[in-house]
Amino acid sequence: MLLDSLFGPFFRKYFYYYDSYPIVIQIAILLTGVAITTTFIAYSSILTRRANGYLKDVRSKKINQFLDNLITDHIIFNEDVMNGISPQEAILDITPFTKPVFKQKWVKQALIDRLIYFSQSFSGDRNVLFRRLFMELELEKLSFKKLKSISNSTKIVGLVELTSMGIAVADVIILPLTNSKNRKLRSEARIAYIKLSKNDPFKFFDDATEPLLLWDQLELYKIITTTEGLTIPNFARWITYSPNKSIVSFCLKLVIHYNQHEAIPAIVKLLSTKDHYVRADAINCLGKLKADSVEEHLVSIYNNQPLRCQLEILKALGRFGTGRQINFLRSEFLRSNDFDIKKNAARSLINHGMQTKEIVQQLIDTASPDNAIILKHCMNPLIKY
Amino acid sequence: MKTGTYIELVGEFYEGAVFVYGTTLLLIYALLAVLSLSAVRRFQKLDSHVDYSLLLNSKLTPGISVIAPAFNESLTIIENVHSLLNLNYPKYEVIIVNDGSTDDSLEKMVREFDLVEVDFAYNERLKTKPIKRIFKSSNPAYNKLTIVDKVNGKAKADASNAGINASSFDYFICTDVDSILDRDTIMKLVKPVMDDSKKRIIATGATLRMANSCVVEQGFMQRVVVPNQLLPRFQEIEYIRSFVMGKMGWSVINCVPNVSGGLGMFDKEIAINAGGYDPQSFGEDMELVIRMMTYCINYQINYAIRYIPITLCWTEGPATIKVYGRQRARWARGLAQLMWQHRKLVFNPNYGRLGMIVMPYNFVFELLAPIVEALGIIYYIVIIFLDAINWDYAILLLVFVYTYAIMISTLSILWDQITYQTYKTSREIITLCLTAFFEMVVYHPLIVFYSIKGYYNFLGNRKHTWGNMQRQGFGQGGARARTVTATS
Repeated sequence: MLLDSLFGPFFRKYFYYYDSYPIVIQIAILLTGVAITTTFIAYSSILTRRANGYLKDVRSKKINQFLDNLITDHIIFNEDVMNGISPQEAILDITPFTKPVFKQKWVKQALIDRLIYFSQSFSGDRNVLFRRLFMELELEKLSFKKLKSISNSTKIVGLVELTSMGIAVADVIILPLTNSKNRKLRSEARIAYIKLSKNDPFKFFDDATEPLLLWDQLELYKIITTTEGLTIPNFARWITYSPNKSIVSFCLKLVIHYNQHEAIPAIVKLLSTKDHYVRADAINCLGKLKADSVEEHLVSIYNNQPLRCQLEILKALGRFGTGRQINFLRSEFLRSNDFDIKKNAARSLINHGMQTKEIVQQLIDTASPDNAIILKHCMNPLIKY
Repeated sequence: MKTGTYIELVGEFYEGAVFVYGTTLLLIYALLAVLSLSAVRRFQKLDSHVDYSLLLNSKLTPGISVIAPAFNESLTIIENVHSLLNLNYPKYEVIIVNDGSTDDSLEKMVREFDLVEVDFAYNERLKTKPIKRIFKSSNPAYNKLTIVDKVNGKAKADASNAGINASSFDYFICTDVDSILDRDTIMKLVKPVMDDSKKRIIATGATLRMANSCVVEQGFMQRVVVPNQLLPRFQEIEYIRSFVMGKMGWSVINCVPNVSGGLGMFDKEIAINAGGYDPQSFGEDMELVIRMMTYCINYQINYAIRYIPITLCWTEGPATIKVYGRQRARWARGLAQLMWQHRKLVFNPNYGRLGMIVMPYNFVFELLAPIVEALGIIYYIVIIFLDAINWDYAILLLVFVYTYAIMISTLSILWDQITYQTYKTSREIITLCLTAFFEMVVYHPLIVFYSIKGYYNFLGNRKHTWGNMQRQGFGQGGARARTVTATS
């Protein structure tokens, strides 16, 4: 009906027989009209997009050049800072940034983007000046306005701007966003919370209902491990109490990074968790922490574990390298029919270094050809994995 | 009953069936156009915020194995392996499977990469032709490289399986050694895997394009150009339509039927449990994906296959009818073989979307399409001879189908442009758009003809010959010629 009302009059006017055609042919004629119109719209969209893209590029290049010159002259080569005056007390001339051209919204946005770019490229005094300029020009108001937008994309942009410029945001604004259904907003809010929260940057770990995706973990890991002045808590708190498995798994990775031996008792408790993925992560963590006090316990639970956990136990024994489980590793290597178990047992034996040199040689001399190749594989420095 | 009445009855039935068939197909294309647009826009919106460089310095970056089978690639193997070793990713290994090359590919690699034979614990989880030797480089600069030298298995599938057996990481990328990969290929393919906690991502794929006429330096793409020759240019449009519109559209409803053999990343555990690539298959890439999906459904694994609309791989398309025909006949034979092998899945509600959407669509609208088209042409000829044709209606319907086909191709090009402005000049885009006008009358009949030839080969169980494909090579002049086996 809609098609008919749009295209019907045209065809009735120019196709004398239109109304006498069967319905199928009428529909075909109408759809031909739709196809031709859509094709032409597509052509114009393609060309318009290219033209707009080109014009935008030219405009951006021009304005960025102008902004870069201003920032270089007034911020990077700020005379006071160069003469040793602290960036907080240095005179910051903002008049060049209040010219009429800056009244345009897109120019203000371009300035925000350039300031973010420069603040990521510089550190120390210059960064304080970039932040001061951002605040004195009241650009943060624009970013806060974006945070109040209905659009999630706009909220994300606002969050990224405030985070990049290190502007504090009240917990009450960010915390709800850390559990947003929108995956990107949630992720940016978590990053912002860690970077900007004055009180307890890891508080959202307590309330996180949505899972931390591996990509989120990658982003958070970088922020947590590179943000200066961040007070690192004992991650055992979430390992013990968090019902969110992804938070537990992520905390285990952080425990390894910060070498938090005080978290070992909490990790040991995870060995009885029903989720074998989390259990494997816990064993991996214990191995990397070289928590050899749990060695006996790991060996005692070995036979009841799924393959993933067994492999982690074998790796952990190699990392401990105490020499107390050489016989266990040797017997697993000889007994098991599973290739991965053999390989990991062999690697862990070899990781013991001088302690197992003779045993390994003896195994090579007496083992079956397949077993000998596994040992040689693990001993070869050219083979990494 | 008179003969004339019989013909009329058959004609009416045929016309009715074709009407339903055609209308459904056109509706599916329209639906795919809408779905793919939403997927493309969503990808573009999210991707603009992604900082892929996070992967470069993180301890949490997952390891990836890149597997590239090679057979008689002597002329370009060194450059291609160098480019695989220089991808932007911190934790990956490159496994080149020398599938019993009869030229000096292996000797060249041994010299260039300081290879030494090692005692490598090769775990034959997937049965392959025997492995002769495994090499590692004694030069630390090439420590990512592993060369598996094996007896020729007469199929890329066999070599790929050997690569999977030798791989160390949980995900592997399968590619052709002569394909040109974007430097960020691994980062872009791994992202969807790290971005989902509810489903297990068993495979990810990206758009492939023609490398013919493109400027390639030291194994990396320097400038993408629309192919100068007509046949590769038709294939360029076909690939854009198939990947950017087709697979992106299907990925929205988790019904991707195939991850291309040219470039795809797979979950190793699922791929191995599903049995790996089938060396007997002529469409081993799609066959593996179907088996992986079947495995997941049988074992109640909540799986997904993801596609990204950006081009990460360029492959040289056949530039002559002879080579093109061989390739398409093989693909068609592969599809027929696959449908026969997995016929129990078609319209099987126990297999959810696989059984009720993926397999039926591929059976009805991919496998049967060339037959329906060929019958349509014969029917047209018959009714023309019998003077039973209504020329007005016939022409109007043909014009409709023609304009609709052009619309779909043009929309695919537009979606592609929304994702990324691949071509430097508007002239190239205009050339591509204009080529779409000739596709239906020049290129499409070729597809129909070679598909039917492929089905005929399948039904007659004719032996497939692995003919040599004279490639033009890449670069500014495109002068370098090389001979490789046509396995694609």
